[in-house]
Amino acid sequence: MYNFDTAVIIESIPNLIDGVKMTLFISVISSICAFIIGLIIVFSRTMGLKYLKFFAVCYVEIIRNTPLLVQLYIMYKALPSLGIMLSPISCGILSLSLYAGAFISEVLRSGIHSVANEQFESSTSLGLSKFQAFTLIIFPQAIRIVIPPLSSQFINIIKNSSLVSFIAVTDLFYRIYKGAVDDFRFVEFFLAGAFIYMMLTGVIALFSNILENVFRLRGRTAKI
Amino acid sequence: MATELYWMDIFENFDFLLKGLGITMKLSLISIIGSLFFGIFLGIIRYSKFFLISWLAVAYIEIVRSVPLILFIVFIHFGLMPYIFGGAVSFFASSCVAFIIFTSAYIAEIIRSGLNSVENTHIDAAKSLGFSASQRLTFIILPLAVSRMAPALVSQFISLIKDTSLASTIGLIELTRSGEIIYERTHHVFEILLFIAFVYFLICFGLSKLCRIYEMKPYMQVEAEKALVIN
Repeated sequence: MYNFDTAVIIESIPNLIDGVKMTLFISVISSICAFIIGLIIVFSRTMGLKYLKFFAVCYVEIIRNTPLLVQLYIMYKALPSLGIMLSPISCGILSLSLYAGAFISEVLRSGIHSVANEQFESSTSLGLSKFQAFTLIIFPQAIRIVIPPLSSQFINIIKNSSLVSFIAVTDLFYRIYKGAVDDFRFVEFFLAGAFIYMMLTGVIALFSNILENVFRLRGRTAKI
Repeated sequence: MATELYWMDIFENFDFLLKGLGITMKLSLISIIGSLFFGIFLGIIRYSKFFLISWLAVAYIEIVRSVPLILFIVFIHFGLMPYIFGGAVSFFASSCVAFIIFTSAYIAEIIRSGLNSVENTHIDAAKSLGFSASQRLTFIILPLAVSRMAPALVSQFISLIKDTSLASTIGLIELTRSGEIIYERTHHVFEILLFIAFVYFLICFGLSKLCRIYEMKPYMQVEAEKALVIN
């Protein structure tokens, strides 16, 4: 039987808390950046000019169809050979937000498509510009529908942020792995890490449930 | 910025990269098949009406879905496998196990939503025709559900193919790791990484386009339209 040793975990709690701070720092900043990128992409895709739309589609397809690890390596290992040197943390934040931005733009696009087209036509007939129609009419209705998939994208950002440990950022996964290798206590550290990640993602899931209930409209459903 | 790109690396090490690509494809194929089987099993358990069994499946799915994949890969390879088998296991086997455990939870969720999308009228009709519970599942519910969840399944497989790059972190020499080995020697990082990203892009984009062409029509919708015309 495996002799389970909780003392190792209790000893390394301050170490793990530092890791949680780093993970939260990276994932919060890249969530905000990713949301902004997603908004820009979805605006240029649904309302923009033709070549802007082509650029947005190319961006989304390229980012979605290549692994995040390879993108991180390109940022961290390949850009210096072209003369661009970024710090590991900014590399991680940049590639995480570029990666999640593509996915978030897809989620937002599906929300915008679920808003009836008459809304856009009537708002333009009332004299609103395309930008005004997007920000004042379409987007507030779309964001309400996409709260659950959007929150699952934010959960994915937290989970994907564990990959930045491979470009020398000391985040939660790095600390767990280091602790496990140092003491050779894989089971304990795995359980602790899984528990911490479940807490972090569970908070977001809870928050999204609350938001979904707050913003639900009684007696109205999305057009399918 | 007067750096010259040196693309000959790719051709000089083409065999090695091809070998890595082969291992990536083998890994993703085995993981896809295994996770499909295990995921369907889990999804059916999740869909069942026995409280305890479906609760177990829910616990498994929720736990696996909230933990990063890399944690599974590393700890299955270094922690779980040596403990079970009493020694080191090959990189390939342990990463396969990790991918199957991870992806089957997602697939189970897709299967469950597909099963739930089957209307009750179909099930009632099958019941009235005297189908048993297992016959209802195999002949009525599953064919309908599979045609509806095909796009979601394919996108899950695409993300699995992308995730196989994570197996490089424990040392399996697949596409990403073989590229790493090459650029650690030649230091032409940008060219090799761009080529690897391009190969992944070709596979995943091609698969998604292929699925778009052969996308199975949810054939019951056609039937419903016919019924509307008749009425």
